[in-house]
Amino acid sequence: MATFQRHRLTPWILLAPQLAVIAVFFFWPAAQAIVQAFYIEDPFGLGHEFVWFENFARIFTSFEYLRALGVTALFSVSVAVGAMSLALLLAVQADRVIHGAHSYKTLLIWPYAVAPAVAGVLWMFMFDPNLGLLSAGLENLGIGWNHRVNGGQAMLLVILASIWKQMSYNFVFFLAGLQSIPKSLLEAAAIDGAGPWRRFWTVTFPLLSPTSFFLLVMNSVYVFFETFGTIDATTGGGPGGATRTLVYKVYEDGFEGYDLGSSAAQSVILLILVGLLTLLQFRYIERKVQY
Amino acid sequence: MATLRLDGLKKTYPNGFVALHGLDLEIADGELLVVVGPSGCGKSTLLRMLAGLEDITAGDLYIGEARVNPLEPADRDIAMVFQNYALYPHMSVAGNMEYALKNRGVPKEARRRKVEETASLIGLQDLLDRRPRQLSGGQRQRVAMGRAIVREPQVFLFDEPLSNLDAKLRVQMRLEIRRLQKRLGVTSVYVTHDQVEAMTLADRLIVMNEGRIEQLGSPMTLYDQPASTFVAGFIGSPAMNFLSAEASGRTLSLPCGNQLHAPVDAHGHVTLGIRPEHLVPVEESDDALAVQVELVEPLGADTLAYVQLDGQAEPLVVRFDGARRLEEGDRLWLAPDLERLHLFDPEQGQRLTTTEAITTP
Repeated sequence: MATFQRHRLTPWILLAPQLAVIAVFFFWPAAQAIVQAFYIEDPFGLGHEFVWFENFARIFTSFEYLRALGVTALFSVSVAVGAMSLALLLAVQADRVIHGAHSYKTLLIWPYAVAPAVAGVLWMFMFDPNLGLLSAGLENLGIGWNHRVNGGQAMLLVILASIWKQMSYNFVFFLAGLQSIPKSLLEAAAIDGAGPWRRFWTVTFPLLSPTSFFLLVMNSVYVFFETFGTIDATTGGGPGGATRTLVYKVYEDGFEGYDLGSSAAQSVILLILVGLLTLLQFRYIERKVQY
Repeated sequence: MATLRLDGLKKTYPNGFVALHGLDLEIADGELLVVVGPSGCGKSTLLRMLAGLEDITAGDLYIGEARVNPLEPADRDIAMVFQNYALYPHMSVAGNMEYALKNRGVPKEARRRKVEETASLIGLQDLLDRRPRQLSGGQRQRVAMGRAIVREPQVFLFDEPLSNLDAKLRVQMRLEIRRLQKRLGVTSVYVTHDQVEAMTLADRLIVMNEGRIEQLGSPMTLYDQPASTFVAGFIGSPAMNFLSAEASGRTLSLPCGNQLHAPVDAHGHVTLGIRPEHLVPVEESDDALAVQVELVEPLGADTLAYVQLDGQAEPLVVRFDGARRLEEGDRLWLAPDLERLHLFDPEQGQRLTTTEAITTP
């Protein structure tokens, strides 16, 4: 114990590099954002004025912001639910495969290695109204596709691209989770008279709950923040703001509209929102998790 | 309750490996049949085929009158106790026990009654709300038993159920399993690699080797008249001693110069089997085997001694009374119990005809 206390400084020195990175890339910008949220600044940075909560007041009375909130809700629920359930489905199938399992798994993991912007561009090209293979195919089926005009289609496209991108991540975790369930448990359940469907819902699924919960948290963070690149490359928030999520609006207002105060205030709100959501998940959903 | 009949049951894996070479077997109603053998002998595959967890490549399997080859595990009316217990970790003890009843649509009230009944039968009544991870190894074992019993199946299958328990608990659970099985009268197949477990539990015993039945019989038959050197070496602890000898009619000549009276007529090279407990210390004489003690293992009730006999590569194991004091390097004279000698074919390992073994003087 005595030796332990004498080295009070050592842990801090060992932690220092990590802390420095967090300080520079998280705490400092976050603090800057909070400070800026209380100022109104001109686009060229020539002057700023302390305005208390005016930025926040404007945000909450802005129709555009409330619309972005709605768009985000639809987008995030669709992507999180879609990416998790599809990944689970694929993981269950891959878990049953015996021959060539390795190549299946590799193929399914690949999309995760693709950068979000590249993924966005990929989907944009496939569905490009003039050049896209898939949009041409849809055209032949009698479905007119133009996500540059049709807001619903644009939303569908960014949801698809985001799901595709995140599925691999979820897949890896679900597969690992599935493979850690002892085979004998499922055999015991089979002898106990449970069919494959019932076995899945009464044995496999509950035993996957720690994995599912972890992925729910990770996917929430993903949909709120990391989908920015995909949206930017695919639709750029358009048409007419149909795919403008909260994080995209932060970017637009700040870096295209040069309204730094409002943008900072929005990012503070987003931070609080996601923080609250995660807190809720830990409080109410984690209770149902079987560790 | 039901009989179990195996008709040329065979298992070939996709890679061509034959795990079971056509087994014929009938297990009587209420019988406890133990299958024992070294790992890889096919005993677990056999059990999994009975359970329906492995496909049957050829042959027929009957439970009662019904041929069950095409039936799913759930429809065979069997219950299995797994080596690692395979308890559902997210369900309570009661949940584990009633899971099968729930799947079969038994109403809630009847389920509860059945679970409580079974729990009191095996002493689990105070643990029904616990999760498996809150239980000790022995209690988990009991829950696994309870889960099997609660369904009142036609057949119990046990897959090395005691191998994860410590030695003391293993003896206790062994007794308990035996008692329960007799009381419930359910036909059972019990797989183990532990020959003591096999001897103590079995009504009848199968020794398996490389996917074949080496011998089938009561535990004492296998002990007294092992059909091969494999069975002789597997049943009984410590294992039987094997000596090479030359036979000429009823006379056996050992390399050390001694001659013994053989139980059966034989000629040429033979393998002589003597159990450690059938070598008796005697006064010095020309007829006795002169040996030197190499190593002593005092076990309390017994003392095992590894002794060197001239002309034998391996030391012989001899079981002495625990009261006897022995030192390494002691010289002793041993007389084998002539009525309990076993002769085997030195190449194939089969027992040489035993019919008149004990009767002739």
